Amino acid sequence: MKKINLFSVLTVLLISLGSFSVTAQKLVSTKTHFKFFSTTAAEDIEANNYKTVGTIETSTGDIVFSVPMQSFEFEKSLMQEHFNSKKFLDTKKNPKAKLVGKITDLSQVDFAKDGTYNVEVKGELTINGVTKPITQKAAIMVSSGKVALESKFNITLVDYEIAFEKGKPSTNIAKMIEITAKANY
Amino acid sequence: MMTAKKKIFKIVLLLVGAVILIGGGIGFYMFNKPARDVQSTKTDFYYQASEIVEEYLTDAEKADDKYLDESGNSKVLEIFGTVAGISEDYNNQIVILLKPADDKAGVSCTFTAATNSHTQKVKIGDKIVIKGVIRSGASYDEDLEMYENVIIEKSDIISNK
Repeated sequence: MKKINLFSVLTVLLISLGSFSVTAQKLVSTKTHFKFFSTTAAEDIEANNYKTVGTIETSTGDIVFSVPMQSFEFEKSLMQEHFNSKKFLDTKKNPKAKLVGKITDLSQVDFAKDGTYNVEVKGELTINGVTKPITQKAAIMVSSGKVALESKFNITLVDYEIAFEKGKPSTNIAKMIEITAKANY
Repeated sequence: MMTAKKKIFKIVLLLVGAVILIGGGIGFYMFNKPARDVQSTKTDFYYQASEIVEEYLTDAEKADDKYLDESGNSKVLEIFGTVAGISEDYNNQIVILLKPADDKAGVSCTFTAATNSHTQKVKIGDKIVIKGVIRSGASYDEDLEMYENVIIEKSDIISNK
């Protein structure tokens, strides 16, 4: 009887320890900055978003970002309205963009040791309700136990069925735009 | 005869000029139109934090249709709730989370450079009303494996009782 009790206590202990370490490896970030930058001969357009939520699972390298599209702010309100409109990103219908990816070379990252680790993230990006595969470079920074991520990559708007057919916005927005992502976990 | 023609020509020229000026003026105004001032915009809905969260968790699509605007000028809300968290975002804006302890999600309210200082006396547990514009709703995200809060921005405190 005593043996059984000891065994069950140990089992419970092990299970709870195990589940604790699993949940502890998932880091959440609400301190993020996503920037959209487009450059053409006509003008440069920039928009900033500070409301993205992201997670990184340090044991598997899984990376997720959920981006509330209406939180992108432009210098000119007319541009912001175009951006949100049905013709462009239709943010009423698709209020969030999402990146679900995985660090392909996780063995290169030591989350316990300070440093900057250059990695490749492979996964899927969903914008405007359209999901496409994506592979991008990112840097993981570890400093005194704090983890941060930075990445800069280009996306082609037509891939996500984003295009103005005619008129001024179609000539003033680049076909390819640059996204900068930063997150402090 | 000649003078009458000249007169008509003059009037037409003046009219065309006026149209160009007005059109150009409207165009210029539209192009440089300032962003909507959320705090001086009339409030569309008043809720307790848990009410709008519940509405989103019940039917997100229906709620998006009700609160989000096609051009991004979405509904202006006043949310009453208990302060569950105070933090700062990447842009040094104060973020106050209104959420009852046992709710799955809350309402995350982001202030601005102009309104940040109004949050100085706010403490965890305070019951306050915050006004702002909704950007996105609450939902459970399977990839994040967590509940996302309702997000409102351009916030300011309406009352602190």
